[in-house]
Amino acid sequence: MTLSTSLQDIIQKEIASLTQSVNGLVENLHRMKSPLVESHDKVPQATNQLDKISQQTEAATNRMLDVIEQITQREQQIITGLQHIGEEVSGQPAAKKIDELCELATTNMNDAYSVMDALQFQDITSQQMNHAASLLEEIESKLKNILQTMGADAKVLTQVESAKKVRTYDPHADLFERKTEQAVIDSLFDKSKK
Amino acid sequence: MGDFKIIAVDDSPTMRRIIVNTLKRAGYDQVIEATDGKDALAKMKVDKVNFVITDWNMPEMDGLAFVAALRATDEFKTLPVLMVTTRSVKEDIVEAMKAGVNNYIVKPFTPETLKAKIDQVLAG
Repeated sequence: MTLSTSLQDIIQKEIASLTQSVNGLVENLHRMKSPLVESHDKVPQATNQLDKISQQTEAATNRMLDVIEQITQREQQIITGLQHIGEEVSGQPAAKKIDELCELATTNMNDAYSVMDALQFQDITSQQMNHAASLLEEIESKLKNILQTMGADAKVLTQVESAKKVRTYDPHADLFERKTEQAVIDSLFDKSKK
Repeated sequence: MGDFKIIAVDDSPTMRRIIVNTLKRAGYDQVIEATDGKDALAKMKVDKVNFVITDWNMPEMDGLAFVAALRATDEFKTLPVLMVTTRSVKEDIVEAMKAGVNNYIVKPFTPETLKAKIDQVLAG
């Protein structure tokens, strides 16, 4: 069975057009590969940056805790000293002033403790950053799979992806918003006892 | 508080420091620290502990596995455990309750809440 010349022409044109499309597709894939490799390589940089922020915030928070501990210790020494003096000058006009100074030192100490309590933010933001880093690592892994499918050098990709950190975090960790209020938690525990 | 000893289990050094400081202010002078459940179990073999304060998300052994491990032994079956964590989803709280925690606080906490919960757990 032979095909008519006109049909052969049509098929040849269609094949040529299909070849052109496939070539275009291959060209586009090659063009995509370079930005994908670049994105894949940048993800670890972003992850490292997040880890760095976390480490430096922790170091700064611990420095603040050092200072707060020193302040509270000194305030406690001042309070104890003032109390001794207060006993010695009991009944004298200076006693009232000593009481006032004692009260001020106690307020200073309690304020320092309030700053310490507020530093709990570091644990929460550190978990949030670990969550973000973990999402970035997931993107990195997906990009790697795409690039390998496109024929990228697996050795190079693995080198970039090595040295993964163990991350523990609560994906819902939030400084200001709680999914369940303490009162609801308390009632859950109360109910369980009954 | 005499020989009363508390173990504070948290992978965050900042949180451990804040918890230890808060406990000392509340009069609990004897506090030991552990970085996760595995570390806590090892330390509890050496030190007799009367009360456990534990985080949930930790490497090696998380808080839930740690509580389950405690409840599986005769020695620690009834040891008071307070979980202090960021996890505030109701299902998580129920899971912790089923694992055997005696009470639960969501971070960030106030010193008053921590003290009140310890008192509540000790009162039974």
